[in-house]
This record gives sequence, structure tokens and C-alpha cells, in this order.
Amino acid sequence: MRSILDVQNIYSGYGKIEVLHGVSIHVEKDEIVCIIGPNGSGKSTLLKTLFGLIQPRRGSILFFGKDITQAEPEEMAGMGISYIPQGRNIFPSLTVKENLEMGGSPIRHAKTIEQAMASIFQRYPILENRRQIKAGSLSGGERQLLAFAMGMMVQPKLMLLDEPSLGLAPKIIEEIYEEITTINREGVTFIIVEQNARKVLRLAHRAYVLELGKNRLEDTGEGLLNNEEVKRLYLGG
Amino acid sequence: MEYLLQSILNGILAGCIYALFAMGLTLIYGVLNFVNFAHGELIMWGAYFLYLLMEKPIGLPLFLAFIPALLFTTILGLGTDHFIFRPLRQANRLTLLIASLGLSFLLRNGAQFFWGAEIRTYGFEIRRGMRFWGVSITSNQVAIIIVSVVCVALLYLLFYKSRLGKSMRAVSDSLELSRVVGINSKKTIRFTWVIASILAGLGGILLALDTNLQPGMGLINLVKAFAATLLGGVGNLWGALLGGMVIGLVENLGVLVISPGYKDAIAFGIMILMLLLRPMVLLGSKE
Repeated sequence: MRSILDVQNIYSGYGKIEVLHGVSIHVEKDEIVCIIGPNGSGKSTLLKTLFGLIQPRRGSILFFGKDITQAEPEEMAGMGISYIPQGRNIFPSLTVKENLEMGGSPIRHAKTIEQAMASIFQRYPILENRRQIKAGSLSGGERQLLAFAMGMMVQPKLMLLDEPSLGLAPKIIEEIYEEITTINREGVTFIIVEQNARKVLRLAHRAYVLELGKNRLEDTGEGLLNNEEVKRLYLGG
Repeated sequence: MEYLLQSILNGILAGCIYALFAMGLTLIYGVLNFVNFAHGELIMWGAYFLYLLMEKPIGLPLFLAFIPALLFTTILGLGTDHFIFRPLRQANRLTLLIASLGLSFLLRNGAQFFWGAEIRTYGFEIRRGMRFWGVSITSNQVAIIIVSVVCVALLYLLFYKSRLGKSMRAVSDSLELSRVVGINSKKTIRFTWVIASILAGLGGILLALDTNLQPGMGLINLVKAFAATLLGGVGNLWGALLGGMVIGLVENLGVLVISPGYKDAIAFGIMILMLLLRPMVLLGSKE
């Protein structure tokens, strides 16, 4: 079977600084793939490069066998890839409803956007209650949920999440991970970058460890959780 | 009493014009994150385009000439973006500032090259204004108020009811996130220039109808627009509208107290005050 995403030997970085020196990953349908590694290992850079925000210097990215190495970020959502960046991932001066509408930007018909929004509201009533509120005044957890829902608007096949648990309370992190598992069962594939490795490895089918911009290890989530070296280096003993 | 009412009316009229300028300026700042010093020259060229179309050999009447004049202003605005600001999209603020300052000189001297530095008018004979309760208002001034109100209403509809307008607000919040969610940022930026150019052209034409044309008209009014923008919070459209009104009113009411010769100093004074009180608004990151 052909991989959803096939990333071969990517070199990428910012300006003169090269961050990734030949990273390769592949993602199969309906998988949750997790990428962990220490600070500065290039996890976020990898996601940005996959999504076209940074043009790779070398290497190739195939999505369902189609070459998207040179694609622009604007085209990605339309092809079925959503990316939820870490930090600023909502439009603070727009209302919750307008944020969701922006999430549906690649959708041509207003009617389709409304349908997508209705199903989001059904799934997350809290967003419906807050739909007229400026997104900037939401709590951290609500923001993350909104960012996630914005990515869902285009009914993506693949979602790239950059540290979805960053700065959130443990209870909310649990909820977000649970939601990821549910959506994954509905047929959405995930790539999740996390600093907080222990929790995410439990739900990941497979995981990669990056180090200094290179592949270090690859195993099932379970396998990495039990790997002595990973335990010592990334899971705090 | 009549004098006070007349000053308030004059203040509102000036405020409408400043608001049109300031809203265009703040739109470009919000979406592209730089202060366009050449915005004043879009104002001035808008007025001169109308002059060109109304004078011989073309000689169109006003109601036929103003739409093509706005169209030319829009083309000029889009042209400056395409040839100057777009290649500098990744440049730092100082580069953009100097580029827009240079462009401002170029466009001002360009107008001077074609039409000379002297004061011109559209050649309408000066008519007595209508009088209500001792306050005089000309039909041009009525037009200023109507056009401004219509512009603000259309802008409201654009920004809060249309997808394109909402996208403009989204790009203004974060260009990178806009690209991530799949907003066509190039189209949105082009459209922002269209709106800013139309506002500048309309304001310039109204101003010239009420007063006169000269190549320096954009520069002095840009300063007023700056003051209005700072007062309302940079990048904030409704703040710019409010700021424009306040500057217009304060300026014209100030004339009651001090000599009209110092009118322009009032706007400068407000601007300096705003910069002292909120020094980060021009160069700092917007909230």
C-alpha cells in the first residue's frame, strides 16, 4: 500500500542556518505518528517544511504519491492537509465563528462552509456558545480547541500538530489527546510533534526521534516508551 | 454661537477627509505592517487625475470623470505595490520606510513636473453656501459628508459581512497564519491596495473640490492622517475614523482660541503627544 506521506532525505532551514540534514519519514493511512526529540532537533522545522512554509533545499515530499515538495502553504489545506502551528494559531481579533470561516478558506461555496461549521458546532458545543466572542479572549484550552476545529473545517486527510499540549493544564491535554484519538478512528491521519513525549507516545502508533536535524530512532510508540535510551534521554528517566 | 456652530461643521468636514485618509493608511499598515509615506501622494494624484480628465483636451464633466480618476488612482496604488513594495515584502521596516519616503518624493515631483507647483482649482465658480441657522454649507461640503458616510457603511459591510473583508482582517492579524489556513494572501493584499487607493483618491478629490490642488497637498494631509491613526491606535480602522474626526474638530475649534495660522500645529502637537504617551505604536508590534 502506498504511504499517505513519504518524506525522503529533507534538508531545510532558515537563511544560512541549516536545521534539517537529511530527515526521512513516512506516514501510513490512519496512523498517529509522533515526532519527538530535544529542543533544537528540528521537529517544528520539519512540520513547517512539510507544509511548505519553508522550502526544502534538497529532498522530496510525496502526498498520496503526488510531489508537493515545492507547493505553497496556501495550497495545502485545499489538498487535505491541515497544520496547527504552536502559539499563534488563531486570529485573536476575529470572532470564533469568523475564525472557523477562515479555517474554511479553501472551500469555494458558502453553503459548504456553513455545513462544515454546523458539524463543528455539533461536535464542540462550547465553540457554538462562544461563536460571537473574539477569539483573543478565549482561555488557553478553548484557543487550542478552536485552532484544532479550524483545521477540521476542510475535512483534512492529514493533520500536522505542533505541540498541541503546549502551555495547557494536564486535564485539558488529556481531553485534546482523547479528541485526537477519536478523530483518528474516523479516518484522519496525524503527525504530532511533542516535547511532552511520554503522553503522546501512548497514543502514537509509531514515533520518530530526531536529534540535531537527523533521524535518530524509529519504533512503535510502545517500543520507544520502553526503550532504555529514550527513557533516559527524553522521558526523564 | 453661530461662529461656534460653523467651526463644529468645519471640524466635521475636515474630520471626514482626515478619516478617509487615515483609514486607508491604517489598512495598509494593518495588512502589510509598514507605514506608507507615499499614501499622501495617492491622495494628491487622485485629485490631479480628476483635474486631468476635466481639463482640456479631455474635458469630461465631474460626474463622468471621477470614476476613471479613482480607477487611475487604484492602478497607481497597485503599481507602487507591484514594483516597489512587493519586492521588499521580506525587507525590514527601515527599508520599507525609506522606500515609501522616496516614492513619496518621486510622485510629488512627478505631479509638479506635469502641472507645476502652482495652486489650481477644478474651475467651478465659487458659489455661496446654503445657510441654516446662520451656518453656511456648500453643496461640495454636503457631498463630503455623504461620501464619507457611504464609505464607512460600505467598509463596515466589507469587513464584517464579506469573506474577502474578513480575510483582510485575518491577514492583518497574522499573515503567516492566513497562509496556513489557505487564505489567498496575494489576492487579499492586492484588494487592500485597491480599497486604500480608492479611499485616498476619494478623499483627495473631495478635498480639492472644497479647497484647491497643489503637489504638496498630500504631504500636509498625510501628517493629519498620521495623527488620526496614532490617536485611534495604529491598524485599527474604526480608531482611524474616530481619530480623524477628533483631529478635524480639535483643529477647527482650536481656531476659536488661537490664530488660524497655527491650525496645522495642532495636529502636529497631538501627534507628538501620542508618540510620547504611546511610543511603541509606530515602530513596536501591534497588539
